[in-house]
Amino acid sequence: MRERTDGHAIEIKGLTKTYGKHRGVQNISLTVEEGDIFGFLGPNGAGKSTTIRSLLGMLHFQQGEIKVLGMDSVRQQKEMLSQVGYMPSEAMFYPSMKVRDVIRFAADARGADCRQEAGQICQLLEVNENKRIEELSLGNRKKVSIVCAMQHRPKLLILDEPTSGLDPLMQEVFFGLLLKYNSQGTTVFLSSHVLPEVKKYCRNAAIIREGQIIKTDTVENLSHSNLRKVKVWEKGQEREFSYAGDMKELIHRLNGMDIEDVLIEEPTLDELFMHYYVSDQPK
Amino acid sequence: MILLRHEIKRNLRSLLIWAISIGLLSAGCILLFKSLEESMQGMADAYSNMGAFSAALGMDKLNVSTLEGFYATEVGLMFAIGGAMFGAMTGAVMLSKEEEGHTCEFLVTLPWGRGYIYFWKYAAVVLLVLLFNIVTFLFILMGFAGIGEMPKVRELALYHGAQLCMQLEIGSICYLISAVTKRRQIGAALGLAMLLYMVDLMCRIIPDIENLKYITPYYFSNGADIFASGSVEKGMVLISLIAMAVSVAIGAVIYGRRDLAA
Repeated sequence: MRERTDGHAIEIKGLTKTYGKHRGVQNISLTVEEGDIFGFLGPNGAGKSTTIRSLLGMLHFQQGEIKVLGMDSVRQQKEMLSQVGYMPSEAMFYPSMKVRDVIRFAADARGADCRQEAGQICQLLEVNENKRIEELSLGNRKKVSIVCAMQHRPKLLILDEPTSGLDPLMQEVFFGLLLKYNSQGTTVFLSSHVLPEVKKYCRNAAIIREGQIIKTDTVENLSHSNLRKVKVWEKGQEREFSYAGDMKELIHRLNGMDIEDVLIEEPTLDELFMHYYVSDQPK
Repeated sequence: MILLRHEIKRNLRSLLIWAISIGLLSAGCILLFKSLEESMQGMADAYSNMGAFSAALGMDKLNVSTLEGFYATEVGLMFAIGGAMFGAMTGAVMLSKEEEGHTCEFLVTLPWGRGYIYFWKYAAVVLLVLLFNIVTFLFILMGFAGIGEMPKVRELALYHGAQLCMQLEIGSICYLISAVTKRRQIGAALGLAMLLYMVDLMCRIIPDIENLKYITPYYFSNGADIFASGSVEKGMVLISLIAMAVSVAIGAVIYGRRDLAA
Protein backbone atom coordinates (compact mmCIF):
# COMPACT_ATOMS: atom_id res chain seq x y z
CA MET A 1 0.00 0.00 0.00
CA ARG A 2 1.33 3.42 -0.92
CA GLU A 3 1.22 5.85 2.00
CA ARG A 4 0.31 9.52 1.73
CA THR A 5 3.54 11.41 2.10
CA ASP A 6 2.33 14.97 1.41
CA GLY A 7 5.59 15.38 -0.41
CA HIS A 8 7.63 14.75 2.73
CA ALA A 9 10.11 11.89 2.92
CA ILE A 10 10.84 12.60 6.58
CA GLU A 11 8.67 14.54 8.98
CA ILE A 12 9.81 14.89 12.57
CA LYS A 13 7.60 16.80 14.99
CA GLY A 14 8.67 17.69 18.52
CA LEU A 15 11.08 14.78 18.96
CA THR A 16 12.49 14.53 22.46
CA LYS A 17 14.78 11.71 23.50
CA THR A 18 16.69 11.65 26.77
CA TYR A 19 18.91 8.94 28.25
CA GLY A 20 18.06 9.13 31.93
CA LYS A 21 19.54 12.42 33.07
CA HIS A 22 21.56 12.80 29.90
CA ARG A 23 20.42 14.95 27.03
CA GLY A 24 19.72 13.32 23.72
CA VAL A 25 17.65 15.61 21.55
CA GLN A 26 15.05 18.15 22.59
CA ASN A 27 11.91 19.12 20.74
CA ILE A 28 13.35 18.57 17.28
CA SER A 29 11.19 19.31 14.27
CA LEU A 30 12.46 18.68 10.80
CA THR A 31 11.03 18.11 7.34
CA VAL A 32 12.82 16.57 4.38
CA GLU A 33 11.09 16.87 1.04
CA GLU A 34 10.85 13.90 -1.31
CA GLY A 35 13.65 13.86 -3.85
CA ASP A 36 15.91 16.09 -1.77
CA ILE A 37 19.51 15.53 -0.75
CA PHE A 38 19.40 16.81 2.80
CA GLY A 39 22.46 17.45 4.94
CA PHE A 40 22.29 16.98 8.69
CA LEU A 41 25.16 18.80 10.27
CA GLY A 42 26.47 19.04 13.76
CA PRO A 43 29.51 18.45 15.92
CA ASN A 44 30.11 15.12 17.67
CA GLY A 45 27.56 14.48 20.40
CA ALA A 46 25.12 17.06 19.02
CA GLY A 47 22.34 14.48 18.58
CA LYS A 48 22.67 13.45 14.92
CA SER A 49 22.86 9.73 15.59
CA THR A 50 20.15 9.92 18.26
CA THR A 51 17.83 11.53 15.71
CA ILE A 52 18.69 8.93 13.07
CA ARG A 53 18.31 5.99 15.46
CA SER A 54 14.97 7.36 16.63
CA LEU A 55 13.94 7.63 12.99
CA LEU A 56 14.78 3.98 12.40
CA GLY A 57 13.11 2.68 15.56
CA MET A 58 16.28 1.68 17.41
CA LEU A 59 15.50 4.14 20.19
CA HIS A 60 12.22 4.77 21.95
CA PHE A 61 11.66 8.47 22.25
CA GLN A 62 9.73 10.16 25.02
CA GLN A 63 7.86 12.74 22.95
CA GLY A 64 7.14 13.54 19.38
CA GLU A 65 6.10 11.95 16.16
CA ILE A 66 8.16 10.71 13.24
CA LYS A 67 6.82 9.93 9.82
CA VAL A 68 9.03 8.38 7.19
CA LEU A 69 7.64 8.17 3.65
CA GLY A 70 4.25 8.87 5.16
CA MET A 71 4.51 5.99 7.62
CA ASP A 72 4.61 6.21 11.38
CA SER A 73 8.12 5.11 12.34
CA VAL A 74 6.88 3.31 15.45
CA ARG A 75 3.64 1.67 14.37
CA GLN A 76 4.65 0.96 10.77
CA GLN A 77 8.33 0.31 11.39
CA LYS A 78 8.56 -2.86 9.27
CA GLU A 79 6.88 -1.31 6.24
CA MET A 80 8.96 1.82 6.66
CA LEU A 81 12.26 -0.07 6.89
CA SER A 82 11.47 -2.06 3.76
CA GLN A 83 11.69 1.19 1.76
CA VAL A 84 14.70 2.64 3.52
CA GLY A 85 18.38 2.00 2.98
CA TYR A 86 20.51 2.76 6.00
CA MET A 87 24.24 3.11 6.24
CA PRO A 88 25.49 3.42 9.82
CA SER A 89 28.59 5.40 10.74
CA GLU A 90 30.25 2.23 12.01
CA ALA A 91 29.88 -0.43 9.35
CA MET A 92 29.90 -3.62 11.42
CA PHE A 93 28.94 -7.04 10.11
CA TYR A 94 29.40 -10.64 11.19
CA PRO A 95 33.18 -11.15 11.09
CA SER A 96 33.24 -14.76 9.90
CA MET A 97 30.79 -14.21 7.04
CA LYS A 98 31.89 -13.62 3.47
CA VAL A 99 31.02 -10.29 1.87
CA ARG A 100 28.82 -12.08 -0.68
CA ASP A 101 26.83 -13.77 2.10
CA VAL A 102 26.31 -10.53 4.05
CA ILE A 103 25.00 -8.77 0.93
CA ARG A 104 22.78 -11.75 0.12
CA PHE A 105 21.51 -11.90 3.71
CA ALA A 106 20.49 -8.21 3.58
CA ALA A 107 18.73 -8.78 0.25
CA ASP A 108 16.96 -11.95 1.47
CA ALA A 109 15.73 -10.07 4.52
CA ARG A 110 13.95 -7.74 2.11
CA GLY A 111 12.61 -10.63 0.09
CA ALA A 112 14.21 -9.20 -3.01
CA ASP A 113 16.52 -10.50 -5.69
CA CYS A 114 19.09 -7.71 -5.75
CA ARG A 115 21.92 -9.67 -7.36
CA GLN A 116 22.14 -7.55 -10.48
CA GLU A 117 22.08 -4.21 -8.65
CA ALA A 118 24.44 -5.48 -5.95
CA GLY A 119 26.83 -6.80 -8.59
CA GLN A 120 26.93 -3.43 -10.32
CA ILE A 121 27.57 -1.50 -7.11
CA CYS A 122 30.25 -3.99 -6.06
CA GLN A 123 31.95 -3.55 -9.41
CA LEU A 124 31.86 0.25 -9.16
CA LEU A 125 33.18 0.24 -5.59
CA GLU A 126 35.68 -2.55 -6.29
CA VAL A 127 34.29 -4.78 -3.54
CA ASN A 128 35.84 -8.24 -3.28
CA GLU A 129 32.83 -10.42 -2.52
CA ASN A 130 34.89 -13.47 -1.67
CA LYS A 131 36.65 -11.95 1.32
CA ARG A 132 35.53 -12.46 4.87
CA ILE A 133 34.35 -9.40 6.80
CA GLU A 134 37.13 -9.87 9.37
CA GLU A 135 39.68 -9.40 6.58
CA LEU A 136 38.32 -6.00 5.55
CA SER A 137 39.52 -2.53 6.49
CA LEU A 138 37.07 0.11 7.71
CA GLY A 139 36.90 1.58 4.20
CA ASN A 140 36.05 -1.77 2.65
CA ARG A 141 33.44 -2.46 5.34
CA LYS A 142 31.94 0.91 4.45
CA LYS A 143 31.70 -0.23 0.84
CA VAL A 144 29.81 -3.36 1.90
CA SER A 145 27.53 -1.12 3.91
CA ILE A 146 26.88 1.02 0.83
CA VAL A 147 25.93 -2.08 -1.17
CA CYS A 148 23.58 -3.28 1.59
CA ALA A 149 21.94 0.15 1.80
CA MET A 150 21.50 0.69 -1.95
CA GLN A 151 21.02 -2.72 -3.57
CA HIS A 152 17.24 -2.78 -3.09
CA ARG A 153 16.83 0.69 -4.64
CA PRO A 154 15.23 2.29 -1.57
CA LYS A 155 12.96 5.31 -1.67
CA LEU A 156 14.93 6.89 1.14
CA LEU A 157 18.62 6.60 1.93
CA ILE A 158 19.69 7.49 5.46
CA LEU A 159 23.45 7.81 5.65
CA ASP A 160 25.30 8.45 8.88
CA GLU A 161 28.72 9.93 8.12
CA PRO A 162 29.04 7.80 5.00
CA THR A 163 32.41 8.92 3.69
CA SER A 164 34.53 8.42 6.81
CA GLY A 165 37.07 5.74 5.95
CA LEU A 166 36.58 6.02 2.18
CA ASP A 167 39.48 7.27 0.09
CA PRO A 168 38.85 10.39 -2.07
CA LEU A 169 38.44 8.34 -5.23
CA MET A 170 35.82 6.11 -3.64
CA GLN A 171 34.09 9.16 -2.17
CA GLU A 172 33.64 10.44 -5.73
CA VAL A 173 32.25 7.06 -6.85
CA PHE A 174 29.98 6.99 -3.82
CA PHE A 175 28.54 10.44 -4.50
CA GLY A 176 28.15 9.49 -8.14
CA LEU A 177 25.97 6.58 -7.03
CA LEU A 178 24.08 8.84 -4.66
CA LEU A 179 23.30 11.31 -7.43
CA LYS A 180 22.25 8.47 -9.72
CA TYR A 181 19.73 7.12 -7.20
CA ASN A 182 18.59 10.65 -6.37
CA SER A 183 17.94 11.35 -10.04
CA GLN A 184 15.76 8.22 -10.04
CA GLY A 185 13.67 9.57 -7.17
CA THR A 186 15.50 8.44 -4.04
CA THR A 187 15.56 10.96 -1.20
CA VAL A 188 18.87 11.22 0.62
CA PHE A 189 19.29 12.17 4.28
CA LEU A 190 22.97 12.61 4.93
CA SER A 191 24.49 13.17 8.33
CA SER A 192 27.97 14.60 8.14
CA HIS A 193 30.46 16.99 9.53
CA VAL A 194 32.41 17.22 6.29
CA LEU A 195 31.20 20.63 5.15
CA PRO A 196 32.53 20.71 1.58
CA GLU A 197 30.62 17.52 0.70
CA VAL A 198 27.43 18.97 2.14
CA LYS A 199 27.93 22.17 0.18
CA LYS A 200 28.69 20.24 -3.00
CA TYR A 201 25.90 17.65 -2.91
CA CYS A 202 23.10 18.78 -0.58
CA ARG A 203 20.32 21.16 -1.47
CA ASN A 204 18.98 21.69 2.04
CA ALA A 205 20.52 21.24 5.44
CA ALA A 206 19.80 21.44 9.13
CA ILE A 207 22.30 22.20 11.84
CA ILE A 208 21.96 20.50 15.19
CA ARG A 209 23.79 21.56 18.30
CA GLU A 210 23.41 20.35 21.88
CA GLY A 211 20.32 18.36 20.96
CA GLN A 212 18.46 21.18 19.25
CA ILE A 213 18.02 22.19 15.63
CA ILE A 214 19.44 25.69 15.41
CA LYS A 215 19.08 26.32 11.70
CA THR A 216 17.32 24.75 8.71
CA ASP A 217 17.63 26.29 5.29
CA THR A 218 18.88 25.71 1.80
CA VAL A 219 22.62 25.15 1.62
CA GLU A 220 22.73 28.19 -0.67
CA ASN A 221 21.15 30.42 1.97
CA LEU A 222 23.21 28.92 4.77
CA SER A 223 26.37 29.66 2.80
CA HIS A 224 25.32 33.22 2.11
CA SER A 225 23.91 34.42 5.38
CA ASN A 226 24.16 37.96 6.65
CA LEU A 227 26.88 36.78 8.96
CA ARG A 228 30.08 38.77 8.52
CA LYS A 229 33.55 38.29 9.84
CA VAL A 230 34.67 41.65 11.19
CA LYS A 231 38.30 42.44 11.86
CA VAL A 232 39.20 45.79 13.48
CA TRP A 233 42.53 47.33 14.37
CA GLU A 234 42.16 49.59 17.37
CA LYS A 235 45.05 51.25 19.21
CA GLY A 236 47.49 48.90 17.52
CA GLN A 237 45.52 45.84 18.55
CA GLU A 238 43.67 43.46 16.26
CA ARG A 239 40.20 42.22 17.24
CA GLU A 240 38.03 39.79 15.31
CA PHE A 241 34.37 38.94 15.78
CA SER A 242 31.36 37.63 13.87
CA TYR A 243 28.38 39.84 13.25
CA ALA A 244 24.93 39.04 11.91
CA GLY A 245 22.41 41.82 11.87
CA ASP A 246 21.67 45.27 10.62
CA MET A 247 24.68 46.74 8.81
CA LYS A 248 23.71 50.27 9.87
CA GLU A 249 23.91 49.18 13.49
CA LEU A 250 27.38 47.71 12.90
CA ILE A 251 28.61 50.90 11.23
CA HIS A 252 27.09 52.94 14.04
CA ARG A 253 28.96 50.86 16.60
CA LEU A 254 32.21 51.04 14.68
CA ASN A 255 31.77 54.79 14.35
CA GLY A 256 32.04 55.22 18.09
CA MET A 257 35.34 53.38 18.28
CA ASP A 258 38.85 54.65 17.77
CA ILE A 259 39.46 52.47 14.72
CA GLU A 260 42.62 52.52 12.63
CA ASP A 261 41.41 49.99 10.07
CA VAL A 262 38.49 47.64 9.50
CA LEU A 263 37.90 44.56 7.33
CA ILE A 264 34.40 43.14 6.85
CA GLU A 265 34.18 39.95 4.83
CA GLU A 266 31.95 36.95 4.18
CA PRO A 267 32.95 33.95 6.24
CA THR A 268 33.99 30.70 4.56
CA LEU A 269 31.55 27.81 4.81
CA ASP A 270 33.68 26.21 7.49
CA GLU A 271 33.74 29.39 9.51
CA LEU A 272 30.03 29.81 9.05
CA PHE A 273 29.22 26.38 10.40
CA MET A 274 31.75 26.74 13.17
CA HIS A 275 29.87 29.85 14.18
CA TYR A 276 26.65 27.83 14.44
CA TYR A 277 28.40 25.05 16.30
CA VAL A 278 29.92 27.16 19.04
CA SER A 279 27.58 30.06 19.67
CA ASP A 280 23.91 30.40 20.23
CA GLN A 281 23.19 33.72 18.60
CA PRO A 282 25.21 35.76 16.15
CA LYS A 283 26.93 38.64 17.85
CA MET B 1 13.25 -18.57 8.46
CA ILE B 2 16.10 -16.50 6.97
CA LEU B 3 17.22 -15.46 10.43
CA LEU B 4 16.88 -19.00 11.75
CA ARG B 5 19.06 -20.34 8.94
CA HIS B 6 21.54 -17.55 9.53
CA GLU B 7 21.80 -18.36 13.24
CA ILE B 8 22.17 -22.09 12.70
CA LYS B 9 25.03 -21.43 10.27
CA ARG B 10 26.72 -19.04 12.68
CA ASN B 11 26.41 -21.46 15.60
CA LEU B 12 27.20 -24.65 13.72
CA ARG B 13 30.82 -24.86 14.82
CA SER B 14 30.00 -24.31 18.49
CA LEU B 15 27.15 -26.84 18.24
CA LEU B 16 29.38 -29.49 16.71
CA ILE B 17 32.18 -28.95 19.24
CA TRP B 18 29.81 -29.27 22.18
CA ALA B 19 27.71 -32.10 20.76
CA ILE B 20 30.66 -34.18 19.62
CA SER B 21 32.55 -33.60 22.88
CA ILE B 22 29.64 -34.56 25.13
CA GLY B 23 28.64 -37.33 22.72
CA LEU B 24 32.14 -38.84 22.68
CA LEU B 25 32.44 -38.58 26.46
CA SER B 26 29.08 -40.28 26.93
CA ALA B 27 29.80 -43.00 24.36
CA GLY B 28 33.28 -43.56 25.79
CA CYS B 29 31.85 -43.90 29.25
CA ILE B 30 29.26 -46.44 28.02
CA LEU B 31 32.00 -48.44 26.28
CA LEU B 32 33.88 -48.58 29.58
CA PHE B 33 30.89 -50.19 31.27
CA LYS B 34 31.62 -53.75 30.08
CA SER B 35 35.17 -53.70 31.32
CA LEU B 36 34.07 -52.19 34.63
CA GLU B 37 30.96 -54.33 35.05
CA GLU B 38 32.46 -56.92 37.39
CA SER B 39 34.32 -54.50 39.58
CA MET B 40 31.26 -52.21 39.68
CA GLN B 41 29.36 -54.63 41.95
CA GLY B 42 31.64 -53.88 44.86
CA MET B 43 31.48 -50.17 44.09
CA ALA B 44 27.70 -50.36 43.88
CA ASP B 45 27.48 -51.68 47.42
CA ALA B 46 29.81 -48.97 48.64
CA TYR B 47 27.99 -46.20 46.74
CA SER B 48 24.56 -47.25 47.96
CA ASN B 49 25.72 -47.02 51.59
CA MET B 50 27.11 -43.54 51.46
CA GLY B 51 24.01 -41.92 52.92
CA ALA B 52 23.41 -38.36 51.75
CA PHE B 53 25.97 -38.65 48.97
CA SER B 54 24.17 -41.69 47.56
CA ALA B 55 20.85 -39.84 47.75
CA ALA B 56 22.28 -36.76 46.06
CA LEU B 57 23.52 -38.75 43.07
CA GLY B 58 20.57 -41.14 42.98
CA MET B 59 22.72 -44.15 43.80
CA ASP B 60 20.35 -45.20 46.57
CA LYS B 61 17.69 -45.94 43.96
CA LEU B 62 19.63 -47.75 41.27
CA ASN B 63 22.37 -50.31 41.19
CA VAL B 64 25.36 -48.69 39.55
CA SER B 65 26.60 -52.10 38.38
CA THR B 66 23.61 -52.43 36.01
CA LEU B 67 23.61 -50.63 32.66
CA GLU B 68 20.56 -48.53 33.67
CA GLY B 69 22.17 -47.56 36.97
CA PHE B 70 25.54 -46.83 35.38
CA TYR B 71 23.98 -44.82 32.56
CA ALA B 72 21.60 -42.85 34.78
CA THR B 73 24.20 -41.88 37.36
CA GLU B 74 27.60 -41.78 35.63
CA VAL B 75 26.83 -40.92 32.00
CA GLY B 76 23.73 -38.95 33.02
CA LEU B 77 25.79 -36.63 35.23
CA MET B 78 28.06 -35.62 32.34
CA PHE B 79 25.22 -35.35 29.89
CA ALA B 80 23.06 -33.26 32.23
CA ILE B 81 25.77 -30.76 33.12
CA GLY B 82 27.17 -30.57 29.58
CA GLY B 83 23.73 -30.17 28.06
CA ALA B 84 22.69 -27.53 30.57
CA MET B 85 25.88 -25.56 29.92
CA PHE B 86 25.32 -25.69 26.17
CA GLY B 87 21.69 -24.58 26.54
CA ALA B 88 22.69 -21.78 28.92
CA MET B 89 25.45 -20.46 26.67
CA THR B 90 23.36 -20.64 23.52
CA GLY B 91 20.51 -18.71 25.12
CA ALA B 92 22.72 -16.16 26.85
CA VAL B 93 24.55 -14.94 23.75
CA MET B 94 21.80 -15.11 21.15
CA LEU B 95 20.61 -11.50 21.39
CA SER B 96 23.37 -9.76 23.33
CA LYS B 97 26.08 -10.80 20.86
CA GLU B 98 24.53 -8.40 18.34
CA GLU B 99 24.96 -5.43 20.63
CA GLU B 100 28.39 -6.49 21.85
CA GLY B 101 29.58 -7.08 18.28
CA HIS B 102 27.96 -3.82 17.08
CA THR B 103 25.98 -5.75 14.46
CA CYS B 104 22.69 -4.75 16.08
CA GLU B 105 22.40 -1.62 13.95
CA PHE B 106 22.63 -3.74 10.80
CA LEU B 107 20.18 -6.37 12.05
CA VAL B 108 17.42 -4.19 13.48
CA THR B 109 17.30 -1.91 10.45
CA LEU B 110 16.37 -4.85 8.24
CA PRO B 111 12.60 -4.80 7.66
CA TRP B 112 11.70 -7.40 10.25
CA GLY B 113 10.78 -5.68 13.47
CA ARG B 114 12.02 -6.66 16.88
CA GLY B 115 9.24 -9.20 17.49
CA TYR B 116 10.34 -11.17 14.44
CA ILE B 117 13.99 -11.04 15.46
CA TYR B 118 13.14 -12.09 19.00
CA PHE B 119 10.94 -14.98 17.84
CA TRP B 120 13.33 -16.44 15.27
CA LYS B 121 16.36 -16.09 17.49
CA TYR B 122 14.51 -18.01 20.18
CA ALA B 123 13.56 -20.59 17.57
CA ALA B 124 17.30 -20.86 16.83
CA VAL B 125 18.04 -21.52 20.52
CA VAL B 126 15.40 -24.28 20.58
CA LEU B 127 16.65 -25.83 17.33
CA LEU B 128 20.29 -25.71 18.41
CA VAL B 129 19.47 -27.41 21.71
CA LEU B 130 17.42 -30.00 19.82
CA LEU B 131 20.26 -30.65 17.36
CA PHE B 132 22.69 -30.94 20.27
CA ASN B 133 20.50 -33.65 21.76
CA ILE B 134 20.11 -35.50 18.47
CA VAL B 135 23.86 -35.57 17.78
CA THR B 136 24.82 -36.59 21.33
CA PHE B 137 22.09 -39.23 21.35
CA LEU B 138 23.48 -40.73 18.15
CA PHE B 139 26.87 -41.07 19.88
CA ILE B 140 25.14 -42.62 22.91
CA LEU B 141 23.37 -45.13 20.65
CA MET B 142 26.73 -45.98 19.10
CA GLY B 143 28.03 -46.60 22.60
CA PHE B 144 25.18 -48.96 23.34
CA ALA B 145 25.75 -50.69 20.00
CA GLY B 146 29.41 -51.06 20.96
CA ILE B 147 28.59 -52.98 24.13
CA GLY B 148 25.66 -54.81 22.53
CA GLU B 149 23.27 -53.82 25.28
CA MET B 150 20.74 -51.05 25.84
CA PRO B 151 18.62 -49.72 28.70
CA LYS B 152 14.83 -49.94 28.45
CA VAL B 153 13.71 -47.79 25.54
CA ARG B 154 10.80 -46.15 27.40
CA GLU B 155 12.95 -45.00 30.32
CA LEU B 156 15.69 -43.89 27.95
CA ALA B 157 13.20 -41.84 25.91
CA LEU B 158 11.66 -40.34 29.04
CA TYR B 159 15.06 -39.44 30.42
CA HIS B 160 16.24 -37.74 27.22
CA GLY B 161 12.90 -35.96 26.82
CA ALA B 162 13.22 -34.61 30.36
CA GLN B 163 16.83 -33.59 29.72
CA LEU B 164 15.74 -31.70 26.61
CA CYS B 165 13.08 -29.93 28.63
CA MET B 166 15.65 -29.07 31.33
CA GLN B 167 18.10 -27.66 28.79
CA LEU B 168 15.36 -25.63 27.13
CA GLU B 169 14.27 -24.19 30.47
CA ILE B 170 17.81 -23.07 31.30
CA GLY B 171 18.27 -21.85 27.72
CA SER B 172 15.04 -19.82 27.96
CA ILE B 173 16.03 -18.19 31.25
CA CYS B 174 19.40 -17.32 29.74
CA TYR B 175 17.65 -16.00 26.63
CA LEU B 176 15.81 -13.60 28.93
CA ILE B 177 19.20 -12.53 30.32
CA SER B 178 20.37 -12.02 26.74
CA ALA B 179 17.36 -9.80 26.01
CA VAL B 180 18.14 -7.41 28.86
CA THR B 181 21.92 -7.13 28.57
CA LYS B 182 24.28 -5.49 26.11
CA ARG B 183 27.13 -7.95 26.59
CA ARG B 184 27.42 -11.72 26.33
CA GLN B 185 26.75 -13.02 29.83
CA ILE B 186 28.47 -16.39 29.41
CA GLY B 187 29.78 -16.38 32.98
CA ALA B 188 26.34 -15.69 34.41
CA ALA B 189 24.82 -18.37 32.17
CA LEU B 190 27.30 -21.06 33.19
CA GLY B 191 26.97 -19.92 36.80
CA LEU B 192 23.20 -20.31 36.60
CA ALA B 193 23.52 -23.81 35.10
CA MET B 194 25.87 -24.87 37.91
CA LEU B 195 23.85 -23.13 40.62
CA LEU B 196 20.68 -24.98 39.62
CA TYR B 197 22.64 -28.24 39.68
CA MET B 198 23.89 -27.44 43.18
CA VAL B 199 20.33 -26.61 44.28
CA ASP B 200 19.28 -30.06 43.02
CA LEU B 201 22.02 -31.77 45.03
CA MET B 202 21.27 -29.75 48.16
CA CYS B 203 17.51 -30.26 48.13
CA ARG B 204 18.03 -34.01 47.83
CA ILE B 205 20.29 -34.00 50.89
CA ILE B 206 18.60 -31.48 53.18
CA PRO B 207 14.90 -32.20 53.88
CA ASP B 208 14.24 -28.61 55.08
CA ILE B 209 14.91 -27.21 51.60
CA GLU B 210 13.20 -29.97 49.69
CA ASN B 211 10.79 -27.46 48.13
CA LEU B 212 13.65 -26.02 46.15
CA LYS B 213 13.14 -28.99 43.85
CA TYR B 214 10.43 -26.92 42.17
CA ILE B 215 12.89 -24.30 40.99
CA THR B 216 15.60 -26.55 39.60
CA PRO B 217 14.91 -28.42 36.36
CA TYR B 218 17.67 -30.92 37.22
CA TYR B 219 15.29 -32.44 39.76
CA PHE B 220 12.58 -33.74 37.44
CA SER B 221 15.12 -34.69 34.76
CA ASN B 222 17.27 -36.75 37.14
CA GLY B 223 18.27 -39.99 35.45
CA ALA B 224 18.22 -42.11 38.61
CA ASP B 225 14.66 -41.03 39.46
CA ILE B 226 13.38 -41.63 35.94
CA PHE B 227 15.05 -45.03 35.47
CA ALA B 228 13.97 -46.12 38.98
CA SER B 229 10.35 -44.99 38.73
CA GLY B 230 9.84 -45.35 34.99
CA SER B 231 8.15 -41.94 34.90
CA VAL B 232 8.70 -38.18 34.99
CA GLU B 233 6.76 -35.98 37.41
CA LYS B 234 4.23 -34.29 35.13
CA GLY B 235 3.58 -31.42 37.52
CA MET B 236 7.22 -30.47 37.52
CA VAL B 237 7.42 -30.64 33.74
CA LEU B 238 4.44 -28.28 33.68
CA ILE B 239 6.29 -25.90 36.04
CA SER B 240 9.27 -26.08 33.69
CA LEU B 241 7.12 -25.26 30.65
CA ILE B 242 5.57 -22.33 32.53
CA ALA B 243 9.04 -21.07 33.51
CA MET B 244 10.08 -21.22 29.84
CA ALA B 245 6.96 -19.38 28.66
CA VAL B 246 7.25 -16.70 31.36
CA SER B 247 10.98 -16.14 30.67
CA VAL B 248 10.41 -15.82 26.94
CA ALA B 249 7.39 -13.53 27.42
CA ILE B 250 9.20 -11.21 29.86
CA GLY B 251 12.19 -11.13 27.53
CA ALA B 252 9.96 -10.22 24.58
CA VAL B 253 8.40 -7.30 26.45
CA ILE B 254 11.77 -5.97 27.62
CA TYR B 255 13.48 -6.47 24.26
CA GLY B 256 10.63 -4.73 22.48
CA ARG B 257 10.90 -1.67 24.72
CA ARG B 258 14.65 -1.39 25.07
CA ASP B 259 16.85 1.16 23.40
CA LEU B 260 19.32 -0.86 21.38
CA ALA B 261 22.96 0.07 21.49
CA ALA B 262 24.62 0.56 18.13
